[in-house]
Amino acid sequence: MADVLSVGVNLEAFAQAISAIQALRSSVSRVFDCLKDGMRNKETLEGREKAFIAHFQDNLQSVNRDLNELERLSNLVGKPSENHPLHNSGLLSLDPVQDKTPLYSQLLQAYKWSNKLQYHAGLASGLLNQQSLKRSANQMGVSAKRRPKAQPTTLVLPPQYVDDVISRIDRMFPEMSIHLSRPNGTSAMLLVTLGKVLKVIVVMRSLFIDRTIVKGYNENVYTEDGKLDIWSKSNYQVFQKVTDHATTALLHYQLPQMPDVVVRSFMTWLRSYIKLFQAPCQRCGKFLQDGLPPTWRDFRTLEAFHDTCRQ
Amino acid sequence: MGVTCVSQMPVAEGKSVQQTVELLTRKLEMLGAEKQGTFCVDCETYHTAASTLGSQGQAGKLMYVMHNSEYPLSCFALFENGPCLIADTNFDVLMVKLKGFFQSAKASKIETRGTRYQYCDFLVKVGTVTMGPSARGISVEVEYGPCVIASDCWSLLLEFLQSFLGSHTPGAPAVFGNRHDAVYGPADTMVQYMELFNKIRKQQQVPVAGIR
Ligand SMILES: [Zn+2]
Repeated sequence: MADVLSVGVNLEAFAQAISAIQALRSSVSRVFDCLKDGMRNKETLEGREKAFIAHFQDNLQSVNRDLNELERLSNLVGKPSENHPLHNSGLLSLDPVQDKTPLYSQLLQAYKWSNKLQYHAGLASGLLNQQSLKRSANQMGVSAKRRPKAQPTTLVLPPQYVDDVISRIDRMFPEMSIHLSRPNGTSAMLLVTLGKVLKVIVVMRSLFIDRTIVKGYNENVYTEDGKLDIWSKSNYQVFQKVTDHATTALLHYQLPQMPDVVVRSFMTWLRSYIKLFQAPCQRCGKFLQDGLPPTWRDFRTLEAFHDTCRQ
Repeated sequence: MGVTCVSQMPVAEGKSVQQTVELLTRKLEMLGAEKQGTFCVDCETYHTAASTLGSQGQAGKLMYVMHNSEYPLSCFALFENGPCLIADTNFDVLMVKLKGFFQSAKASKIETRGTRYQYCDFLVKVGTVTMGPSARGISVEVEYGPCVIASDCWSLLLEFLQSFLGSHTPGAPAVFGNRHDAVYGPADTMVQYMELFNKIRKQQQVPVAGIR
């Protein structure tokens, strides 16, 4: 019975306490029975009242007595100790019918598993932090936690600066026209029209590109109320594919300290799609593969490849 | 709409028009194209009425009034080498009123009907061209939806045409040459159909047996 002792429960007092509870409950129900029955028939009204009051008093006293007894016993029972590693759930181990309710072993298993998970998640988080895909510079390593939450400077560039960078890029590429608008406050949205080949909607946050959608030259890029439609995708598979590649390019071109260079590199890469329908694949030499032209453009050489033909 | 190429597919040796169409559509299905409803393009010829011709003896111009199921609310009126007018379907009623100036040529109605197929961004329509009761030939229309400049995607279109027309792949349609950098439009497709129909009309002397 070492287990029981370690739990710190006086079993004898416990059993007595249970019977005390039973006694208390029956005396309480006697009180209510007496109230329910009310005054029984006696010869005189006075007699009736007297008998009822006496009976009621008796009952209340026995409730009081039983309650005192229970209080005394509950002090003897003592508290279950709290130094069990699993606290109250440790008491599950006392269940003698292991086969029917294997709760305790399951609990231990789950505990071990969650411990391991936490450990591995910690390792993974450390590794991922070294090769961050986030393009803002404000979250390097654990030390960043302690720093007060400061906006990275590249996120609070004045709109005028963003306008200048964009209009410089616009002038750089004659076959590309960029229309900048700010429908939702300070964040800029660009509508880039590349020759008569395609249109690109670029959603910016300061000078970071958050999202791009590529559509056909003859496709509608506005919603019914005349705003740029930044959610719906192109109806054509070729532009859906180019949209995927453009999103990949956003992750490839990153230089948190020089966001203007990033935007310029991205636009230079995007410009190579002017020959989307005219350039055969540099690997297989064909125009079509599964009905699609070469939709991939190499990030450095800007050469055209089919999605499956790139290395 | 995208750049479209309309061409004629010759009837295969020893086969009927219907059999050749089936061969072609089976090839498309093997390629992975999916059936997507039907289509119809029709064309009626009008003469300039004799009473309106000048005394200089100038020849009456032919006008073609066409419909395309792809544009169900429109009616196309074309002159050979001339302008193309795109109007509402009410235009047909107007033509009846203009009887004094334009007279419909007898039994000139020619049309092509068939199945639409979708393959990736390509739309392929294989149709049987009929004049009156008899089948006269096969039309093949290929549209590449994403591109709007004919010269940009001709090579790409050619590669696709070759994949199921083989040796019967056509050359670049004449309308591609006229409009170097302009955006391709529905009228360009109608001009191609008009030219195709005219070509088939001239072949009509061939007796029915020749079509088999
Ligand atoms: Zn390739």
